[in-house]
Amino acid sequence: MDLRAGDSWGIIACLCTVLWHLPAVPALNRTGDPGPGPSIQKTYDLTRYLEHQLRTLAGTYLNYLGPPFNEPDFNPPRLGAETLPRATVNLEVWRSLNDKLRLTQNYEAYSHLLCHLRGLNRQAAAAELRRSLAHFCTSLQGLLGSIAGVMAALGYPLPQPLPGAEPAWAPGPAHSDFLQKMDDFWLLKELQTWLWRSAKDFNRLKKKMQPPAAAVTLHLEAHGF
Amino acid sequence: MPAGRLGPAAQSARRPPPLLPLLLFCVLGAPRDGSGAHTAVISPQDPTLLIGSSLQATCSVHGDPPGPTAEGLYWTLNGHRLPPELSRVLNASTLALALANLNGSRQQSGDNLVCHARDGSILAGSCLYVGLPPEKPFNISCWSKNMKDLTCRWTPGAHGETFLHTNYSLKYKLRWYGQDNTCEEYHTVGPHSCHIPKDLALFTPYEIWVEATNRLGSARSDVLTLDILDVVTTDPPPDVHVSRVGGLEDQLSVRWVSPPALKDFLFQAKYQIRYRVEDSVDWKVVDDVSNQTSCRLAGLKPGTVYFVQVRCNPFGIYGSKKAGIWSEWSHPTAASTPRSERPGPGGGACEQRGGEPSSGPVRRELKQFLGWLKKHAYCSNLSFRLYDQWRAWMQKSHKTRNQHRTRGSCSRADAARREVLPDKL
Repeated sequence: MDLRAGDSWGIIACLCTVLWHLPAVPALNRTGDPGPGPSIQKTYDLTRYLEHQLRTLAGTYLNYLGPPFNEPDFNPPRLGAETLPRATVNLEVWRSLNDKLRLTQNYEAYSHLLCHLRGLNRQAAAAELRRSLAHFCTSLQGLLGSIAGVMAALGYPLPQPLPGAEPAWAPGPAHSDFLQKMDDFWLLKELQTWLWRSAKDFNRLKKKMQPPAAAVTLHLEAHGF
Repeated sequence: MPAGRLGPAAQSARRPPPLLPLLLFCVLGAPRDGSGAHTAVISPQDPTLLIGSSLQATCSVHGDPPGPTAEGLYWTLNGHRLPPELSRVLNASTLALALANLNGSRQQSGDNLVCHARDGSILAGSCLYVGLPPEKPFNISCWSKNMKDLTCRWTPGAHGETFLHTNYSLKYKLRWYGQDNTCEEYHTVGPHSCHIPKDLALFTPYEIWVEATNRLGSARSDVLTLDILDVVTTDPPPDVHVSRVGGLEDQLSVRWVSPPALKDFLFQAKYQIRYRVEDSVDWKVVDDVSNQTSCRLAGLKPGTVYFVQVRCNPFGIYGSKKAGIWSEWSHPTAASTPRSERPGPGGGACEQRGGEPSSGPVRRELKQFLGWLKKHAYCSNLSFRLYDQWRAWMQKSHKTRNQHRTRGSCSRADAARREVLPDKL
């Protein structure tokens, strides 16, 4: 699938619109059993919603950290952020992921990211910002639940927390405030990248679960599109 | 770094990625240098300073030789490059900085002082906290809703601008029982407020104060001593009803219920009523409505919609000598006065407001006269009510009289009324 970025977004947007306007996703499946389709769609929608929420939250938070953190091309060294789960992946590797691995990677990534986000100790931030952070954590928890739902629907086991990656990962006490700011910056960036990637992951899953295109056309005609 | 596996294509981080795969890369993480191997340390690390003070800082680079030297290093503060005259090379691997007369921190997370390598990459950073110690908070005011809780508000000293994060803590203790307590629920009614939801004692005064703390010091407000019973407020009166008074065009009757939470204790409650014409923003207030649950508004304009609100003050609760705190106003209730039915001259518009006996000055004078009469003439039966009854009767008989008329002018009838007025009294 060697498409231009613009085209792929266009197709995704078109697909979203089509799927949105169809009366119900279950209608696409001939056997009548809804399957994991609706929950995959829901997860996809959640990643888009979270991406939108994060944009606002990150803007406010980076302003709180102050320049140069809120400058557009800011690129500090990734020192402490080595332990963050990386969304970045080789294209071939990404395409060849099986469903179970794809879902597992997403689930584990957001578990880690949520942990780090919760550990953000920003006492000095305004009450408003702390509320937005808490709200985002809740939404992220919702995404985790949604992914878990998809995995359950497809019969995959939920990943157990790895012994090495305790939820209580915290920087050492000698961690300077500036290093902490850089960690915060990379946490937000990694969250952003994961949400971009997850949208594609779930879109890919969605397409796999659908019947072939011909059936979709049939239904489109039937509904007067 | 994993992204490095892809090779040079991924390095074009600045161009909009032409291929789908590039979207998957953490674009900003694409490595563009080898300087990750060299780092530096800034000293002092995350210092706290008073506004106007000076700072001497150093950036010491370490790394394998032939590593970077202090040559080419530069400082930025909050993203702005600092003038080179403020920097000085101390030795082969250390760059010094001298800042004087520091301003308050731009953000409460600290000013970002960064040491950069020649190519602009970040070697080290330090957060500067420049500000003032807190000043004494003052103006603490508290109120208790139905004696169940306590909410307090205060004003931070120096209008709160210390440039540093300042933590406010509301403390309280019963006067003769030693233990200090700290309020936990903050920002309930604004940024400097706190709510104590339970476990409040009556009949013994509380001592309340606010402590402000930041990196540069702390300050404590004066202690406020108060008795919960002296600062009680309650809910606004529920079930406020406004209705017409028979056919009277200039009156409305307001009825309400005593707030239920304090129903059994409100022997001496005071109420206040305010009302305004629909399109106006000026409220008229009726004060001194003591311990009643109804009131008659008079002197109103006919055929007009009025908005009415009532509020309650639990005065003298449990023997407290002080007034309590006024509740919020009840939700506005609306009602309209009956339209004036007197036909004008030529049978049409009614606009002779000046001649109406319900106008303000006449009514006021009447009230004064009645008051005088009561004192000097033993006419205990005289009251406004009697006067209103008479007016209602006059209106009715006026209507029947008019029905018999041919199209005459109203002004004669009004004149007749004006003549009748003094006689009747």
